[in-house]
Amino acid sequence: MSTKTFRGGAHPPERKERSAELPIERVEQVKQVVIPVNQHFGAPIQALVKVGDTVKRGQKIADSDGRMTCPVHASVAGTVKKIEPRMQPNNVEGLCVVIEPDGSGATEFMSPLDGFACTKEEALARIHEAGIVGMGGAGFPTWVKLAPPPNKPIDVVIANAAECEPYLTIDERVLIENPGDFVEGMAIVMRLLGVKRGVIGLEENKKHCVDGLEKAIAERARGAGIEIVLLKTKYPQGGEKMLIVAVTGKEVPSGGLPMDVGAVVQNVGTFVAVCEAFRDGKPLIERGFTASGGALAEAKNLYVPIGTVVADLVPEVLKVIEPKVRKVVAGGPMMGVPVPHWTFPIQKNTSGVLFLDASEAKAPAEDPCIRCGRCMRACSCRLSPALLNKALEAGDLDLAREIGVLDCIECGTCSFVCPAHIQLVQRFRVGKQLLRNKIAKEAKHAGK
Amino acid sequence: MPANSLLLSSSPSAFAGASTRKVMAAVVVALLPTTVYGIVLYGIPALLVVLTSVAASVLSEWGFRALIRKPVSIGDLSAVVTGLLLALVIPASTPLWMVALGAVFAIVVVKEFFGGIGANPFNPALAGRAMLLMSFPAALTAWTAPFSADAVATATPLGVYKTAEQALLQAGSGAAEAASSAMAQLLDKVGANDMGGLYWTMFLGNRSGSLGESSILLILVGAALLLALGVIQWIIPVAMIGSVFLGSWALGLDPVLAVLSGGVVLGAFFMATDYSSSPMTPKGKAFFGVGAGLLTVLIRRFGAFPEGVTYGILLMNALTPFLDKLRVKKFGFVPPAKPAKEAAK
Repeated sequence: MSTKTFRGGAHPPERKERSAELPIERVEQVKQVVIPVNQHFGAPIQALVKVGDTVKRGQKIADSDGRMTCPVHASVAGTVKKIEPRMQPNNVEGLCVVIEPDGSGATEFMSPLDGFACTKEEALARIHEAGIVGMGGAGFPTWVKLAPPPNKPIDVVIANAAECEPYLTIDERVLIENPGDFVEGMAIVMRLLGVKRGVIGLEENKKHCVDGLEKAIAERARGAGIEIVLLKTKYPQGGEKMLIVAVTGKEVPSGGLPMDVGAVVQNVGTFVAVCEAFRDGKPLIERGFTASGGALAEAKNLYVPIGTVVADLVPEVLKVIEPKVRKVVAGGPMMGVPVPHWTFPIQKNTSGVLFLDASEAKAPAEDPCIRCGRCMRACSCRLSPALLNKALEAGDLDLAREIGVLDCIECGTCSFVCPAHIQLVQRFRVGKQLLRNKIAKEAKHAGK
Repeated sequence: MPANSLLLSSSPSAFAGASTRKVMAAVVVALLPTTVYGIVLYGIPALLVVLTSVAASVLSEWGFRALIRKPVSIGDLSAVVTGLLLALVIPASTPLWMVALGAVFAIVVVKEFFGGIGANPFNPALAGRAMLLMSFPAALTAWTAPFSADAVATATPLGVYKTAEQALLQAGSGAAEAASSAMAQLLDKVGANDMGGLYWTMFLGNRSGSLGESSILLILVGAALLLALGVIQWIIPVAMIGSVFLGSWALGLDPVLAVLSGGVVLGAFFMATDYSSSPMTPKGKAFFGVGAGLLTVLIRRFGAFPEGVTYGILLMNALTPFLDKLRVKKFGFVPPAKPAKEAAK
């Protein structure tokens, strides 16, 4: 099988061997869950419970009727102790519902729904009600992705099984341990969209998952049309746009969405969540993540209730070697968010928690740009980062826009390869914000 | 739980481990074969030229940065590269004070005045050579014969070839004889019996010229290292050497000799690829290489000096900011809608 890929990129050390062989461990008992009200990309929603309420596992605790929203459910049965701002994994404080389990295990799931017999509207409503968001990182509400306007025909559903971030192995473990639910969820989504073709985009370093997946596909008639495409092991192969171009050969137009080229992309975990939402009526209240890094005595693949506080897992589940911890990252080392401590909850889009030691987490000082052009060859969006940086340094936001600062997917490859250690991605984040402010200001002016 | 002791530096948290110093060290290593060969060819004076040039470059960078109270940056080894390159493009017989002057000019005026590493619009080593050539034309064109214990004045193959070619241009009787006698002199000079032997000798490098430009073979060994390490890209050297070849052929010159003589190969791989003063975009690199090659040929053919690589590259350096506008189309590029179309809506 030949491998497909995109232009550019880099190959950071994978460091997956620490956890790739370890089965997913379920954590059943937690002393509390801290559930952020807003865990999705989109409009904010409101809490539906108040302090003192008794909630059941699976009960909806936050929602809104706006578009681009997604409800949130209690992940344990218990009592609401507090509703207050807490630090989320994106290192920003947000309103969280703190629930103390009462040990009753009372559960309130939706009734099961046959994803192949219900109407498309029912299926879409189920995915919305189950609170499913993209579990790969961005947290985009899944039901919005699955409801493209009629003028955007979709012809392929792509499962993002690239898992190109170093360290992270949770998707790989799900593919090995639960390929059936994954394929089932994919089939439900394909049926919902009326799509005949499904592609599982798998990086070559996870070749060993192919047999199990092929078996899971062959076992079910609904798996027809699902194929596996091997991708070159290269970062950021799991970037949505890079995955689509590798699989279909089509580039998502600048400023556009995958649906503009007829593709819908979902993460491995998202498909499993879809399967459970239909078969068991279970909302998205649990997820797996990888805990790894040199400052952890042993790496783990864990499956926990949403809202589990990482610090609560220490030391029984996670053995953190405190003196060695130099940097804690929520997510992978390339795009994950550095956090000041580990008292934060696992939320729907948290795929990993890394405890990096001094040899893994370096923060080299910035040197002047030597114009070597490595960033330009590595940029998966072909954005000329060095020239973009120069434009931003000169305060030329129009040039930055022309070069494509708004197209930057913030994958971090440019910063990774830079011999001068210039924090290109961080500069582009700031540049994007400045440019958006400028555009908003100009629009306001034009409106007058 | 540690408070305030954790790194909060922005993502990515992983780095490839590249550094400016490693890049520059690779260039120094790549230049070593031809440098050592130059010292073998011309002896102790060559060694002194190399040491003087490197020392003057590093000391002047250190001194200037200290003077303007900026962090001293000699640790990045870029001054070593500049000093070494300058030594390689001047005759081994250049008086040492001139060498030092050229190095100070290259570092202080051409590099630091413009902001230091990465900011110089012109190649410092070549600008240093150009300054020396203009100020001391005699010393900078006094060539020593290879392996001669005492400095025996001689002419470079390129110089001889230029004489032959000039003779051919002279309309009138005796021109052809003059030319062929010059060519015979050229063959004799390198001890070759025919043109094939001449090319081979030139490729291996037993000929007079600037300190480090003689052995094409050893220059290519260093260049291969830099290409393999990804320090330089092939576009500029291939475009430049290709256009020297084709341009010389179009003007009726011997294209093989044009590439093998003078500083074309050294210049194409080590000067024209200078990060600061050459374009970063692939298209820009192609234009740059072709332009530098063609200018080299034109200067050689119609200019006063036999060699044109230095000015060819320096002139193209000036165009770099414009050539950098030839960017690769970004991912998912959509051509902007034409205004006429919008008006029609």
